Amino acid sequence: MNRRLISWLMCAVLVIMLVAGCSSTGSSTAGNTSNGENAAAANDTNVTNNTNDSATNEQKEEVTLKFFTGKVETIDLINELITKFEAEHPHIKVEQEYQKDASNVIKVKFASGDVPDITTVYAQDYVDQGKYLDLSNEAFWARVLPAIKELNTDIKTGKQFRVATNVTMAGIFYNKQVFEELGLKEAATWEEFKSNLQTIKDAKPEMTPMFLAGKDSWTLGHLIEFMAHGVIKQKHGVTDARKAFINNESDKLEFDAAGGGIEAFAGRLLELKEAGLINKDALTATYDNQKEAFASGQSALFSQGMWVLGDLLKLNPDMAGNIGFAPFPAIVDGTEPVVLSAEDSVYAITSESEHPEEAKLFLEFLFQPENLKAYSEFLKSPPAFTDVSADWGPLKDQAAAALETGVNIAFTETPSGFSGDDAGRMVQELLAGKYASSGDFAAAYKEAWDKAWSATNK
Amino acid sequence: MRIWIHKINANLHRYMALPAILLFGLFFLYPLAQGIGISLTDSNGMTTPNFVGLQNFIDFFADDRARNDVRITILFALGSAPLLNLFGLLYALFLDRGLPGKGFVRAVVYLPAVISPLIMGYVWYFILQPERGYLAHVLKEIGLGFLDVNWLGESSSALVVLIAVNVWQYVGMTMIVYLAGLQGIPADLYEAATIDGASRWGALRYVTLPLLYPAIKINVVTNIIGSLSVFEIIVALTDGGPGYATESLSIYILRMLYGSFTGYSTAVALILFLIILIPVVLFLRITRKSEYEL
Repeated sequence: MNRRLISWLMCAVLVIMLVAGCSSTGSSTAGNTSNGENAAAANDTNVTNNTNDSATNEQKEEVTLKFFTGKVETIDLINELITKFEAEHPHIKVEQEYQKDASNVIKVKFASGDVPDITTVYAQDYVDQGKYLDLSNEAFWARVLPAIKELNTDIKTGKQFRVATNVTMAGIFYNKQVFEELGLKEAATWEEFKSNLQTIKDAKPEMTPMFLAGKDSWTLGHLIEFMAHGVIKQKHGVTDARKAFINNESDKLEFDAAGGGIEAFAGRLLELKEAGLINKDALTATYDNQKEAFASGQSALFSQGMWVLGDLLKLNPDMAGNIGFAPFPAIVDGTEPVVLSAEDSVYAITSESEHPEEAKLFLEFLFQPENLKAYSEFLKSPPAFTDVSADWGPLKDQAAAALETGVNIAFTETPSGFSGDDAGRMVQELLAGKYASSGDFAAAYKEAWDKAWSATNK
Repeated sequence: MRIWIHKINANLHRYMALPAILLFGLFFLYPLAQGIGISLTDSNGMTTPNFVGLQNFIDFFADDRARNDVRITILFALGSAPLLNLFGLLYALFLDRGLPGKGFVRAVVYLPAVISPLIMGYVWYFILQPERGYLAHVLKEIGLGFLDVNWLGESSSALVVLIAVNVWQYVGMTMIVYLAGLQGIPADLYEAATIDGASRWGALRYVTLPLLYPAIKINVVTNIIGSLSVFEIIVALTDGGPGYATESLSIYILRMLYGSFTGYSTAVALILFLIILIPVVLFLRITRKSEYEL
């Protein structure tokens, strides 16, 4: 009898567990969703609550802010700034958390409720789900460059949910000495670009003309973002192109169009590979290898953003006067060269933060001119705040010249399921010979983009 | 009262199973049930999920990349698991004899198994990287630079390298289990076999291998599970590349999860669970009858 009773009891426990598992699936996810859907309303509530909080702040209740970043290069500097901030505000503690794969890890954080107060990770999907606090009415906007404010403005709502402290650029970094020695000029067209590389190969067989860091797939993803998407971005202008990417307007994006940006890019890249103008280990070389090869004079040029400058100068401080910076050449006939000029070092406060006032206080501290100056000079990146004057690096004049000669383009706002890494892996496949033609690559790219966009825009 | 105490005492061993059942329910059945629930939706981890029935499972079998990942995962396991057992057994048989320095050899063979596979993967990456890796430098020094091939950049050779590194890392673990099994075989059985006229091969065939069944079972099962769920070594060495040429199902699941395909990735996780479960159960059923009891 007893044995039977115990058996029944155990079975009941197992069944309850199983049923509990099944039934809670819907409710917990629904719970998350309603949080997201009501986030805009929650924003207002948060703000109201926190006005009350600051009113009673005289008690100086101990507050811990969670700062979540994906910027490895600024960890130490931010820690120094945090120490300074905590000394000024002893009741606020700031904990910095860095994750290499931050744009993906934050997804888990949002889903699990471990939401940071401040983050450098920003994506349109999260804006749509009301994950960020509206910063439109903050006083610091009067100090921000208008072009950067525009890039920080959400296309759908016209509000600002993020603020960038710096401007970044991306283009072609080249060895000036080699260019001067061989009588080369910065290339505006694809033919000029290819001819430059061929001249380098012929004159300096031991040197890699152009270095690709294929193992770090985001570096290949950037080639699509800047060169292939550059065709779309220059055709439609910054704001319309942003709208087209965010809303997946296929008539403007034309990812699979014959002779379009994606197909042209694929064809151009394969031309370089076939002509032996890129490194043999383009598929397995890392970002570190790319920097080392350039700093040691083993490669003549590569595509990167201004964020690479600090590391190049660390690897070879004597190279400061020898680094050239140029726009990406036009990859489609009849188009212009392009250069990325976009927001850098972006900060957003999450709508679920329990301490938005303290989070704003921390941002205001970061935005103080002396702190932004230190940040810009450390990162070798121009400030986006008009009242900050920083000597940010040896490429200051060349960057200004590149911005004059190339069409200024912004980053691509990709669906969160199709990151730069994903696009980069497709470029790896292209280089590995998976696609029979550049048209096949363009079709596959469109399919992957559409699939990811549909997954987050149900 | 006394009767109650007596009853509790008599059934104490059964009540003692309750914590284990609760933990099993909490950490296995509950997540499994929740996983099954999510796998039937189009959840992206953020917005309201819709019930889609078995659509995720249908999508999986219709997706070229997913089918390729199943192929890669199975090829990796077919390469790794038999080699791990073969070399593990050979090492164990060799080191089970009273050879001088066998403790040192055992430690050297076992050492890689205690190091993180991520670190091991990166170490091998720095060795094998073409043009700038250690192997490339050595080959160049001895005039064999033409042999410096981009092993990790070619789809076919990259998988072979991954299997080789995995076997090299975990052969020590397999060896230790076989050694423990060998040391549990009584010496008098070999004496009896010798008296009966058994050769060395005969002793191995009719004494050693049958009595090693428990160790073989443990090794084969753990190697099948480990190989089919491979993740770290691939991330460190090729990151699933070039493209998706060496992407395993575990990596695919993570990427799909991060890519907002939460429902789909959960369905793939359940499929991987079955892909691991089926060979393990089959193997255990086949070997159940053959096992010798001491």
